[in-house]
Amino acid sequence: MKRQVPLLITFFVGTLLIVSIFSPATENLGEEFSVFFDVIAVFAFFLGGGNLLRVHLTKISRKREDWVYSVVTLVGFIVMLWAGLFKIGNEGGIAASVTEESSLFGMVFYSVLIPLQSTMYSLLAFFIASASYRAFRAKNREATILLVAAFIILLGRTAFGTMLTSWMPPSLSLAEIPNLAIWIMNSPNLAGQRAIMIGIGLGVVSMSLRIILGVERTYLGDDGK
Amino acid sequence: MFWEHFAVWVAAFLTLGIYSFLYKDNPWYKLCESIFVGISAGYWFVTLFWDNIYGKFWVGVFPPTHVNELGESVRTAQPDYWLLVGAVLGLLMLLRLVPKIGWLSRWSLAFIVGATAGFYLINYFSSNVMRQVQDTIMPLFGSGFDASAYVIIGNIVVAVGTFTGLIYFFFSKEHRGAFGFSAKVGIFFLMVTFGASFGYTVMSRMSLLIGRIDFLLSDWLGLIR
Amino acid sequence: MQYIRPTDGGRRSRLAFGFLSILIVFAALSAPVVAQDVVADTPADTTAVSHVPAPATSVVVDDYKYDFGDRLNLSWVPSIDDQIGERMVLGYIVYRSINGGEFKPLESLLPGASSFEDKDLHADSSYVYYVAAFSETDTVPSIHTQAHQPEREFIHFDLLWLFVIAALISFSVIYFIWMARAGKDLFVRKIAGLDAVDDAIGRATEMGRPILFIPGIQDMDDVQTIAGLTILGRVAKQIADYDTRIRMPVSRSLVMTAARETIKAAYQIAGRPDAYSDDMVNYVTDEQFGYVAAVDGIMVRERPATIFLLGAFFAESLILAETGNSVGAIQIAGTARPAQLPFFIAACDFTLIGEELFAASAYLSGEPKQLGSLKGQDVGKGIAMAVILIGVISVTLGKAFDIEIFNWIADALSTVFSKAGGS
Repeated sequence: MKRQVPLLITFFVGTLLIVSIFSPATENLGEEFSVFFDVIAVFAFFLGGGNLLRVHLTKISRKREDWVYSVVTLVGFIVMLWAGLFKIGNEGGIAASVTEESSLFGMVFYSVLIPLQSTMYSLLAFFIASASYRAFRAKNREATILLVAAFIILLGRTAFGTMLTSWMPPSLSLAEIPNLAIWIMNSPNLAGQRAIMIGIGLGVVSMSLRIILGVERTYLGDDGK
Repeated sequence: MFWEHFAVWVAAFLTLGIYSFLYKDNPWYKLCESIFVGISAGYWFVTLFWDNIYGKFWVGVFPPTHVNELGESVRTAQPDYWLLVGAVLGLLMLLRLVPKIGWLSRWSLAFIVGATAGFYLINYFSSNVMRQVQDTIMPLFGSGFDASAYVIIGNIVVAVGTFTGLIYFFFSKEHRGAFGFSAKVGIFFLMVTFGASFGYTVMSRMSLLIGRIDFLLSDWLGLIR
Repeated sequence: MQYIRPTDGGRRSRLAFGFLSILIVFAALSAPVVAQDVVADTPADTTAVSHVPAPATSVVVDDYKYDFGDRLNLSWVPSIDDQIGERMVLGYIVYRSINGGEFKPLESLLPGASSFEDKDLHADSSYVYYVAAFSETDTVPSIHTQAHQPEREFIHFDLLWLFVIAALISFSVIYFIWMARAGKDLFVRKIAGLDAVDDAIGRATEMGRPILFIPGIQDMDDVQTIAGLTILGRVAKQIADYDTRIRMPVSRSLVMTAARETIKAAYQIAGRPDAYSDDMVNYVTDEQFGYVAAVDGIMVRERPATIFLLGAFFAESLILAETGNSVGAIQIAGTARPAQLPFFIAACDFTLIGEELFAASAYLSGEPKQLGSLKGQDVGKGIAMAVILIGVISVTLGKAFDIEIFNWIADALSTVFSKAGGS
């Protein structure tokens, strides 16, 4: 019962969704099921949120290293739950949008969460620089190809790239960096993308079949032996 | 006015706190990190609650009513009792909190994994395999011999690149001899693809950083107007 | 997903439209001449010209193929007063009557519109439509359509070839799994990134540092997350064998639940159920960059010896991989998102590219039946390559030299491989 029922559910639901696509009567089943998933995900959040509370409360109660930051996390979490679930300070009342700017939830969202998100995202500028530097130092052939392609595309998107080859005669215009960058994007890049995508498509077919047939069951806490 | 200034100062404090991580881990970053984690976890639960539990589940099962011109109270839509299946699966997930019957949560997990595997099997196969193969079938020289050398070379590169890229992904044959050479050509195309993606992204990442610097210099310090 | 294909009715109505269009073009060409004549004769009295627009014509309702009797297609030839440059018509209003009832306005459309898809209908009801063209001052209805009842279809014949080829490849996967079960020896080449897993876990054991496993930032409804967790099953067993510490912060509650099941089972299989703890996996936050901030913190504070980044990654891929690199961890990454692969390649020691991510669990298991499935997907690749080769040669020779047989092959392949390919 503990082992067989989940495998039967996976088999039945998986097969049903494959077959459903081929009948107009059931073609929207995947979308229906995605709503089930949305509902399950919220219930599951009680487990995740509960885990968050437990981890930080344990840290605080045992006065582990950096426990003070756990207090900050918990306060932030609880304030947001309180502000959002009860729509505190929301001018439109309970029926209005939860992120309305006048509400406490909206204020925290716009003045704390948005700047934090944008700043964390912008760290990529620094990391892309360090990754480029590493690629530049790499001595193998693959890294060199990657770097050359990246360099041409990068230059092709800047005014500097246009300037560099602007002296070339019109007969060689195809070799100008912006045109070369377009050619790379449209030809070798497209070829590589296609090979990767076809591979991914077949990989998904194979893995999905292993799951539906119960050959792959590690995710259910079962090794299949 | 005070709150607007205060929000800018909070945002600046958080921005610089996140950037301080680039130097090394420090209490300022830890503070920003804990604020980020606590507030964002709360934000997500509230959003999921209002969007999914209220917006999709509650409104779906108990559609709101309105009073028509005859003064009768009528539903705006038919109740979708299928959504209760999602709620049952969600409740099963919560049974993890009861150790003796916690294994029932695997049923929900099996449902989700089966549905995902079934849904994406055909979806990926259709969009990643069928579509890409179809798009690769094209006349190398155009209709008649009307294509320019530039286009012909591009077409040949796309066809050869896709073909050899797929050879690279073959699992059942060792990359040796002519097959190995083709796989190496395939790797070349894959590396150009990765380089192109890399180069294409650099500028957009830089613009994110510029956005944050602009915030610090203009909104916060008022140095740029 | 909708697969739209012209129906026979559609073809017939297009012929009718074609014929009517010719008439309309003649009418349109002659109309300004008449108008100019009027203006020339009575230059002071321009208001005498009528502003009532001509109605939309040839309003036809067709059944929607293939649906479950819930859609109809309405199409018409726009009013001759609805032309670019001199638009007297400001738009169209579609009116509908259900089962002979009163006509009610259904949808307002912009000028130039010539079709409308009516959804959420009932197969047992009958629908009549008309389209009203309106100008600033007037509204002119078209004639009514015939009453039409939407028809139900039970099989998507549009998708026949998709079904046939998907079935062919699926059967090849199942066939090779079955062959492997029956004891046939199947060869699978080495995959460098996966051969490194053993060493990477061993390294963490020797250094006495934890292993960090990041399954991406998507939920269990993403195949990449599932692929990441299937790999976790194999990796966790080795971790349990080596008695190394695993740390797995996740960004989704469901992933937390599934990952705990997976690791727990791995420890049981390894004969060390007591060493398992739920604390190995903890939920951080669903928010993309909030999660990244926390994982970066864990990386620099706990300095894991080995980091696995396997699943669906977005912009955070590079932040995580570069931070992991900066703490000197061996990193094995994999994703099926082509846009993030270059960053993993630049910052990680080994990268599983696309398909390799989905094959990894089967490869690591070493079980014949799992490896058999990889053979099956190679058959799919073989078919794709053969079709590309034959297709490109045929279409090239067919187009260049106009050889019928090659054109026929190219058309046939194109039809079969088109998503909405013919039946």
